[in-house]
Amino acid sequence: MSIEFLTFLRREIHRFLVLYKQTIIPALISSLLYIIVFGTTLGTRISAINGITYINYIVPGLAMMSVINQAYQNSASSIMQGKYLKFIEDILVAPLSGFEISLGYIIGGAFRGLICGLGILIICLFMTDLQIQKITLTIFYLLTVSWTFSAFGVIVGIYAKSWDEIGTFTNFVFMPLTFLGGVFYSVDMLPPLWRNISYINPIYWMISGLRYSTLGLEENANLISLFICFGFSCLFTIIATWMFKTGYKIKS
Amino acid sequence: MNAIEIQSLRKIYDTNVEALKGIDLIIPQGSFFGLLGPNGAGKTTTIGILTGLVNKTSGTAKILNHDIISDYKNARRSIGLSPQEINLDVFFTIKKILEFQAGYFGVPSNIAIKKVDEVLKKLGIYDKKDNTARHLSGGMKRRVQIAKALVHDPPILILDEPTAGVDIELRHMLWDYLTDLNKEGKTILLTTHYIEEAEKLCNEIAIINNGEIIKQGDTKSIIKEVSLNMIEIELNDASKINLTNKIDYKINGNILKIQSKGVNKDIVKIIEEVEKTTEIKNINIINSSLEDAFIKLTN
Repeated sequence: MSIEFLTFLRREIHRFLVLYKQTIIPALISSLLYIIVFGTTLGTRISAINGITYINYIVPGLAMMSVINQAYQNSASSIMQGKYLKFIEDILVAPLSGFEISLGYIIGGAFRGLICGLGILIICLFMTDLQIQKITLTIFYLLTVSWTFSAFGVIVGIYAKSWDEIGTFTNFVFMPLTFLGGVFYSVDMLPPLWRNISYINPIYWMISGLRYSTLGLEENANLISLFICFGFSCLFTIIATWMFKTGYKIKS
Repeated sequence: MNAIEIQSLRKIYDTNVEALKGIDLIIPQGSFFGLLGPNGAGKTTTIGILTGLVNKTSGTAKILNHDIISDYKNARRSIGLSPQEINLDVFFTIKKILEFQAGYFGVPSNIAIKKVDEVLKKLGIYDKKDNTARHLSGGMKRRVQIAKALVHDPPILILDEPTAGVDIELRHMLWDYLTDLNKEGKTILLTTHYIEEAEKLCNEIAIINNGEIIKQGDTKSIIKEVSLNMIEIELNDASKINLTNKIDYKINGNILKIQSKGVNKDIVKIIEEVEKTTEIKNINIINSSLEDAFIKLTN
């Protein structure tokens, strides 16, 4: 890997680490609050789901919710700030290929998502009786989902003309898809129509995959989850790379 | 080998505005080259294409013989750009910004740290190295902007209006510094609205207007070729003046104003002609400047 690319990657990671009070800590605190409120208080009144205590059942969904938001926010806001204050030009005039630029932004965001996801799981190891069943697979899911939404953040960051457009995806797309993807419940509890609709939500499969790797609970085919996580991360990376390579919406 | 070679470069924006109409431009290595033109003439578009910020429509451009498209990495490594608008990263200190900037162009971090200190000292902002851009004045930001172009020690500097909005003291300091860099062998491509700046610094200029290069060459030759000098003769009684039709003149009070392309050649003839009718009190020759040439050429 070239010095040029490694420097850019270092910049992207350094950016969110410097701002850890805005980028890491709030994500951990909000997940902690979910665990306290939904897990330890309300959760004690909810019966076990598929043999798993409610507090443990919601942990993978909470981790995934945080991973999705943090990875997306990181790359989308890094690009938006660069565009707004024009320092994205420093990267565009550097001897970096479109692939290297997109990879730098994506890895930066994916790393933040991964840190938050792992952080939440580590906190839960102490707060609950969670025992991670398949560590490698867990890291695979956290990484591919982080990667997917970081790459999606790159695409939106390039496309968006304002901060509102970036927030729109968080509020009107990710939030409903995450909540309806079974963070707090099993889709098996839903009537058949809504259960089938849930199956076309990719975030359901992402949460389901992480639930399998952490809890050992296979609610649906793990292979589909693997395919969706890997497939989307590749698809969005290709689109983001194409955008930087052609200068779509960045270069006039 | 030329520093920059542009052939038939054309740019049509999505709005159908033809910003560059197939320009040709050669900038020799080691030159201090001024690209002048009114707002919207195509200066920034040209620089944008050379540096990779703007996609060209057609034509070719080479930086030290590296094509800006097929060999863009080597082409970009040869350039240091100071854009017109301040574009400083707000998250990091000045030192960190410059270290990253050097790294983006392949300078290893141990060398970059030394180079950053050196450039900051030369530009007189070493004591601001731990500040963020938010805490700097406009002049300081402009210096950091120039430091960004220099920190990877490129052979070619492209400075898009580097002295816009800076005070006279800083402007002179930058002029001296840029002159020294040019003497050390760096090729400098400068765009500016201050014609005086181009006249003082640049040994070659090109004037661009409406996307076309309308004049290119040695700065002094262009001034000489394009401009007319003014001869002002203060007369005892201007009402008596009656010059031949061959001399184009104007009278303002008792001042006779004559425009001349070759002052040395014309002055004796003019004086003889005027003295036939009235007494001359004073003669003043005003040499025209690049600004006059620029205004004339760009209408």
